[in-house]
Amino acid sequence: MEMHYNRPIGDPFAAPVLDFHRFVLLVSHRFSDRIHFFGELELEHSVVEGLEEKGELELEQAYVDFLVTPELNFRAGMMLAPMGIINERHEPPTFYGVERPFVDTFIIPTTWFDVGAGIHGTIGGKLRYRAYVMAPLDSVEFTGEEGFRGAAQNGSNAQVRQMAVTGRLEYVGFRGLTLGASFWRGDSSVTLIRLETPTAMIVADARYRRGRFEGRAQYAHGFVEGAAELNAAVARLTGVDPNVGSQIRGFYLEGAYSVLPRDAPHELGLFVRYEDFDTQFRMDEGDVTLPGFDRDAWVIGANYWLDPDVVLKVDYSHVRSQSDIIAGPRSLNLGIGWWF
Amino acid sequence: MVVLMKRPAATGWCLILCGALAGATLPPVPIQDTVDRPEADRVVEIVAERFLFTPSAITIEASTTVELRLTSEDTDHGFRIVGPDGIDVDIDITIPKRNRGAASVFFAPTEPGKYRFECSRICGAGHLYMSGVIRVTAASSAPATEGGSR
Repeated sequence: MEMHYNRPIGDPFAAPVLDFHRFVLLVSHRFSDRIHFFGELELEHSVVEGLEEKGELELEQAYVDFLVTPELNFRAGMMLAPMGIINERHEPPTFYGVERPFVDTFIIPTTWFDVGAGIHGTIGGKLRYRAYVMAPLDSVEFTGEEGFRGAAQNGSNAQVRQMAVTGRLEYVGFRGLTLGASFWRGDSSVTLIRLETPTAMIVADARYRRGRFEGRAQYAHGFVEGAAELNAAVARLTGVDPNVGSQIRGFYLEGAYSVLPRDAPHELGLFVRYEDFDTQFRMDEGDVTLPGFDRDAWVIGANYWLDPDVVLKVDYSHVRSQSDIIAGPRSLNLGIGWWF
Repeated sequence: MVVLMKRPAATGWCLILCGALAGATLPPVPIQDTVDRPEADRVVEIVAERFLFTPSAITIEASTTVELRLTSEDTDHGFRIVGPDGIDVDIDITIPKRNRGAASVFFAPTEPGKYRFECSRICGAGHLYMSGVIRVTAASSAPATEGGSR
């Protein structure tokens, strides 16, 4: 669960917002030693109303695991795409900052979930993998400003003429260190069925914790083949050219330091994160590049854990863009997150 | 058999921060009594965190007693051992959350095989990824542990 207060700075037209961002219910069932079920139901922004832009009620996970050996297990149902750090590990006490990193919003469209099936396992206790086929993204939802955000079909009568393939490899051989690499590939011609739009993404990430220090790094790069044709087709369909880039790209580096002794009853961590993200990193010829979509951001702040499962957060976020006209938003953010 | 151990409370920090928060949180629970502890041939320390046990692959010999000392880097986790088909293992405990102490399990398998261990308490979105394996060998050669335990 998490509640946020976002106060824009320097924008007289933007009001402060108090938002109950996420309410999550998890359920698990063990049919036998080898057959398990897991489900995650999430309410975002507290209210869901028909025909209005309000919150969302999302079935983010609902799958059955068939456990065969440590090296090979099978999974089917509604699953999280195994892309990057945050998508599969998004409990508020586990990450710094009131909001998720921008790269995990505009480049990797977290929370990214859809229907599918696949395998997962651990090899030698040090190498973990998952490989799934899942419903593809819908390219009609791509935009120049927000990349693939909102393009997942989320298992809602998902059209699957062609399945996407995705996977992740994690090395966990050293305590405190996790190295990960993820990929996604699929034809996103869901609504525009006559237009082939092969879409791909690769992600490389690392998490490291030693003593009081914790660091994270992530790089994500997305590719849209035939972006110019897609933009022209969507413009004919809707009247608005989405200006989708043929490549989107982002990365961030984050460092955090726990300032209280390890045996203190509470914990205080200070962090700083630098992000660079461009949702029009490469454009096809003839498409318009908007410098406002080439952005970077500094986020500095603190997490204060009253309990390992209850965290108070504060940060200051400053987004900058290459635009000379539109200033990037700045904001002071407060949040409380908890988990049980 | 399960033994729970608690670290002593850091009274100074507790007083300062609890005072600052006007009693918003409770201090750590008192130390729990221990029960009889069998003599272990080996000790393996296992660290749990979302969504990983480290080490997650352990090799031991049959008919030896191993003490598995379990701590968490974040929330409460569960620790259940599932034996190979036909072998029941009655071990399923809670690992206390970060800075709330440790739990120990004394595991003395008599039959060789692969014993899976898994988190038995929902710990987040990747809960079902959290598992590992104890390979129990019949051989009398020196045991080895993969994944960095001692």
